[in-house]
Amino acid sequence: MELLSYLATGFAVALTPANLGFALIGCLVGTLVGVLPGIGPVPTVAILLPLTFYLDPTSGLIMLAGIFYGAQYGGSTTSILVNMPGETSSVVTCIDGHQMARQGRAGVALAIAAIGSLFAGTVSTLIIALFAPPLAKVGLSFGSPEYFSLLVLGLIAAVVLAHGSVIKAVAMIILGLLLGLVGTDGNTGGTRFTFGLVTLSDGIGFVPVAIGVFGIGEVIANLISPQQQRVVVAHKIRDLWPSREDFRLAFPAILRGTALGSFLGILPGGGATLSSFAAYALEKKTARDPSRFGKGAIEGVAGPESANNAGAQTSFIPMLTLGIPGNAVMALMIGALTIHGIQPGPQVMTERPTLFWGLIASMWIGNLMLVIINLPLVGLWVQLLRVPYRLLYLGILMFCAIGVYTVSNNAFEVILAAIFGVLGYVFIRLGCEPAPMLLGFVLGPLMEENLRRAMRISSGDPMIFVERPISLALLIASGALLVLIALPAIRSKRQEAFQ
Amino acid sequence: MSTGSLDRSPAPRPLWRRALTRKDVLSGLMFIAFALLGLWLSRNYPVGTAVRMGTGYVPRLLCWILLLLGGVILIMGLRAADAEDAPPPLRWRPLVLIPTALVAFALTIERLGIVIAGLLLIGIGALGGREMRPLEVAAAAAVLVFFTWAIFIWALGLTIPVWPER
Repeated sequence: MELLSYLATGFAVALTPANLGFALIGCLVGTLVGVLPGIGPVPTVAILLPLTFYLDPTSGLIMLAGIFYGAQYGGSTTSILVNMPGETSSVVTCIDGHQMARQGRAGVALAIAAIGSLFAGTVSTLIIALFAPPLAKVGLSFGSPEYFSLLVLGLIAAVVLAHGSVIKAVAMIILGLLLGLVGTDGNTGGTRFTFGLVTLSDGIGFVPVAIGVFGIGEVIANLISPQQQRVVVAHKIRDLWPSREDFRLAFPAILRGTALGSFLGILPGGGATLSSFAAYALEKKTARDPSRFGKGAIEGVAGPESANNAGAQTSFIPMLTLGIPGNAVMALMIGALTIHGIQPGPQVMTERPTLFWGLIASMWIGNLMLVIINLPLVGLWVQLLRVPYRLLYLGILMFCAIGVYTVSNNAFEVILAAIFGVLGYVFIRLGCEPAPMLLGFVLGPLMEENLRRAMRISSGDPMIFVERPISLALLIASGALLVLIALPAIRSKRQEAFQ
Repeated sequence: MSTGSLDRSPAPRPLWRRALTRKDVLSGLMFIAFALLGLWLSRNYPVGTAVRMGTGYVPRLLCWILLLLGGVILIMGLRAADAEDAPPPLRWRPLVLIPTALVAFALTIERLGIVIAGLLLIGIGALGGREMRPLEVAAAAAVLVFFTWAIFIWALGLTIPVWPER
């Protein structure tokens, strides 16, 4: 019953007209930008991050969450209508979703994606409300050695479950950790890697790094490698409502997708992408006639779309309860919280209950809003797709520049963003995923602090990490993950899963 | 190197130059470079002991790990067969002009205001694109600067200079 009173607190916060308004704006703006080709949720959230800094933390986070769902949702729309996934988590939606659109069933595909997402969003919001409090309690009981090992596990798992080369991703994490250390060392007062620049003594700003790597870097990459030709399916979108037969096929898929996505989202590195791929594979395996897939099977839309929404949602759990970002978007959320002066971690729930439960309640409201607003607005979003990239990137550029500048009214941060933009492109070109770097970047100071404390407790004996049972278990799990991924059989399976 | 002699006949390039087109070789070198830069910058930071860690303890530790990882990635890249993973041909214009546009914006926003800084940003940024349509860019610049003003200065009430200060 405690849960109900918590949720009541949350809804009381989320249902104030102002917060409803911010959730609505977030959803709309998120969809607007997310629909635009070549801009997935990570760049969308990064670019729009500065907009939320003028609000109080709760409203800011609610709006940011709305932006995230909106962007996610926008990605599905483009997958179905244009066969162009906004980002990796809607890649599989293209397969059957776009086929449905070609058969004139775009409306049905969009509707089933929306209904599945709403259902998944409802269930996973409940899951967050159920599981977050006990997990935060566990987190609160952790000492520095345990917390350090937990951070190690979180980072390793994020790398192993994400796609791409593991060793390069680990190197990117280390690079991120190093970047996170730039500035004044809080313990000794010495400055590190500041090149003698006073502006860097507070550390590298989170916004210029995020916007540089994900916004500017992406723009440069898109300008260098030619854009894919976009063909909007020209059919008029009518018949939004799926038939009884559609429902009969889609409903079990929605259930399976929700369950799978909710589970995978909690894992570090899980989140929306892994969930949608796994759900598509599951649907294909459980289908009575797998040959229908790839030709417009409705389950191929319902399953992954429910799964990616559930995964996107439950990936908030480790971030909110332990302060560990499982993916790039959650790293952005952590950065946003930090800028608002909130140290993410298990204490957030007890110290700022209205923020915590308000955010959770608004997740559900945001999901509902997306369905209500977006289905009627699909026509408008399709029009947006016709904006050519040569104009689009100018807008992105303008927004990035002004966004970075306004965060601290510091023109130097814009130059930093330019530098990180070039770096971001170099990373893309060399096949080094930038997301792990961002995770390392936000966790760097936290890891150093916990390492220092642990070493002080043990008077400098590193054995403390293996003598404490919980810490040892967490480190063994990290090691096991790394060993597993090195095994040839698993490696090839993993490559297969991510193609 | 002599990039001018990029003729059609695929002259057998030396092994090391072929290796330099591989992503893993290049990223290994990149990580090594970052690690060495970090080690050099932190050469005078007090390291301290494990109990009382100095400013340089964790950074130097991380740099050594990065150096090691970079070495492994480099070796893996060198040992791999000639892969087909060569990145797309590099176009310098966007790579140079997009960051330049941002730097121009950064240098002008405080003294010349958002209108001029915005126009500079869009103007230089547009030069980095594939095709340049002057009228279209001018229209886009006007619209974008107006919207930026409307959202950030008019609606959010931020104190950003609009015109050059007198």
